[in-house]
Amino acid sequence: MMARVEFINANLAIAEGVMTAGLRFFAGYPITPTSDLFEYLAVELPKRGGVVIQFEDEIASINAVIGASWGGAPAMTATSGPGFSLMLEGLSFAIMTETPLLLAYIMRADPSTGVPTKSTQADVFQARYGAHGNYEIPALVPWSAQEAYELGAKALWLAERLRVPTILLSDATLAHTFERVEFVPVRRAERKRPKVPPEEYRPYEPEDDLVPPMASFGEGYNVMVESLTHDERGYYAPTNEAHRKLIWRLVEKVRRNWRLIHDTKTYFMEGAEVAIYAYGSTARAAYAAVKELRRENLRIGLIRPTALWPFIDEDLKNAVGSARRVFVVENNIGLMYKEVARALRDREVISVPIIDLDLPTPEQIIEVVKEWRR
Amino acid sequence: MKRIRKHPLDGLLRPERLPHLWCPGCGLGIALGAILRAVKKRIEEGYLRREKIAFIGGIGCSARASLYVDFDSAHTVHGRAIPFATGLKAVKPDMKVIVIGGDGDIAGIGGNHLMHAARRNIDLLVIMMNNMVYAMTGGQLAPTTPTGLYTTTTPYGNPERPINVVKLVATMGANYVARASVTHPPLIERYVYKALGKKGFAFIEIISTCPEVFGRHIGMRDAVDLLNALRERVVVKQRPHIDESYYEWEGGKFVLGEYVDKDDPSYLERIGVIKG
Amino acid sequence: MTTVQAAALGGGEVIEADNGKFRVVVITERCKECGICISVCPTKVLVKGPRANSRGYRYPIPERIDKCIGCRMCEWSCPDFAIYVERVGDR
Repeated sequence: MMARVEFINANLAIAEGVMTAGLRFFAGYPITPTSDLFEYLAVELPKRGGVVIQFEDEIASINAVIGASWGGAPAMTATSGPGFSLMLEGLSFAIMTETPLLLAYIMRADPSTGVPTKSTQADVFQARYGAHGNYEIPALVPWSAQEAYELGAKALWLAERLRVPTILLSDATLAHTFERVEFVPVRRAERKRPKVPPEEYRPYEPEDDLVPPMASFGEGYNVMVESLTHDERGYYAPTNEAHRKLIWRLVEKVRRNWRLIHDTKTYFMEGAEVAIYAYGSTARAAYAAVKELRRENLRIGLIRPTALWPFIDEDLKNAVGSARRVFVVENNIGLMYKEVARALRDREVISVPIIDLDLPTPEQIIEVVKEWRR
Repeated sequence: MKRIRKHPLDGLLRPERLPHLWCPGCGLGIALGAILRAVKKRIEEGYLRREKIAFIGGIGCSARASLYVDFDSAHTVHGRAIPFATGLKAVKPDMKVIVIGGDGDIAGIGGNHLMHAARRNIDLLVIMMNNMVYAMTGGQLAPTTPTGLYTTTTPYGNPERPINVVKLVATMGANYVARASVTHPPLIERYVYKALGKKGFAFIEIISTCPEVFGRHIGMRDAVDLLNALRERVVVKQRPHIDESYYEWEGGKFVLGEYVDKDDPSYLERIGVIKG
Repeated sequence: MTTVQAAALGGGEVIEADNGKFRVVVITERCKECGICISVCPTKVLVKGPRANSRGYRYPIPERIDKCIGCRMCEWSCPDFAIYVERVGDR
């Protein structure tokens, strides 16, 4: 049977993707440009047995999602800049307690109120470092409505698989662009269940993949969800030994499993001397620029990560191949550039920060590349 | 022959974590005992199942209760126990979810969530232990601190009036609103027992004694003295009127009793997650 | 007055006494010497004992157990789950 095809924007595509992956709870607060994702789920999710609640603010929303996740439900919230800032404490809580959840972050022009209906990529570091503490969390970044569907589902799956809050980074431009989306089959999001009886179960005792199986509330496991630093039982353990052990496991849990997270796309990189590194909506313009520049015989290709975090040097180096010069094109003041330049210390890495309320144009990108050609 | 002695509540506690961290004479321990006695009764009579009870706490001395009880429990972030509990209840409606928090946690930073949860009439039991100060962090002003009292952030005397949480929650339409006190443990037990059987939002304020911080600030660091001082200020009424719920420490009274007891449809009933 | 080991509680002394009708049990390691139980007992069964637990707190002893009426005010008012009352013949 053919998969259903719809003409929708990236927000609705995310909603469809996560529902197909098994979402059962959404809590949120209205914010432009995210609200239609919420509204769509408010209509559709209850039809599939899920619950949608609008809360009094974003702080309540993220904490409700955490509570629902401990009730056993794959859960998510969605917001934009100002709301994400409010959710940071909750995000840190989810990280510390290893609570699976999906946080869809539809970036909009900022700082502060900015331009609610327009786009940015300024928050890519906030997504990684906004919450307080030492940690790693995955962040996926689609460039189209189709990819928003697929990566929305993947992000929910990752959250459950790695017992970690996962960010899905989109933006206002993608939220406002209607495209063809095919609702392809996706992996069902589900967490590892305990393999021992309640007396032996430890909620923070990892298996070999560094991920602890997760019991839900209401099953007789007497789970302890603990925001303080803790041992395997979830008992407060303010010692160097216990704390270091926990911190490094939270970090390695994500880093070591990076192959589940990353799927970097490369275009025309075979034999390329020059590369553009771009992600999200900006990569659409970068792709057009690359094709145009190739028509003018420049050996240039495009590297497009679909996951920004954890940043994996090895993955980037594989994608770069033998290219000597890399342009990092992004709709911010030059953020991922810092990571790319660090990882590719032996190449020439150039920051191309193009702040645009919609998205950088191919012409702007081509102009910069050509400047460097001289 | 060695006889094993167990406190009657040891089966519901994590005894390896006792003695708890609360100060000598802290009212929170008195309240927790009464709460657990009520829970134990509900379990023994078959109304509640042990594995279907959850304790959710925020941050502060009171919220530490969640660390000592042997149930599914959570030590969440400051002021946000109620939304956590709401999310849990929404997906696990057959569970009895109990929130325990302090006055600062529930009515200060968490005030917005308290207000909306009561308005929503979400099926939760929220127990606010009110010792009228931010005790855990050393004695700063709380929204519940009586007027004129010294705190570390109002060293010249509190210029604010204490928030009347009972009236606030009642105004928002909660199904059950009661005030108890650690001077009257059986009353706590009775109200908690009743609240466990209510649908919708049930709220119990328990006036508590903090000898080490609140007591020390008013020159009454001895636990027995402070408990007696509270006892003098407490009045128990059968069906007190909501206008009697405001309190002051100097010249005022703490009127205990059940202020509201009704059965409006709960949030989960209205969205069809549970049957009416 | 009898003294027994509280094996279920990882060591530490348990003090108990009964008057044929009611038994008062003190789990000494949990006591923090707040004095509340002594003050709320209506018949003055309890006094502050001479010995301290391992934390240095002097726990109460049911010296006048003959006066105990089994009201449980001590049990209900203890913040530390350190004292309880049971009917003789319960265990």
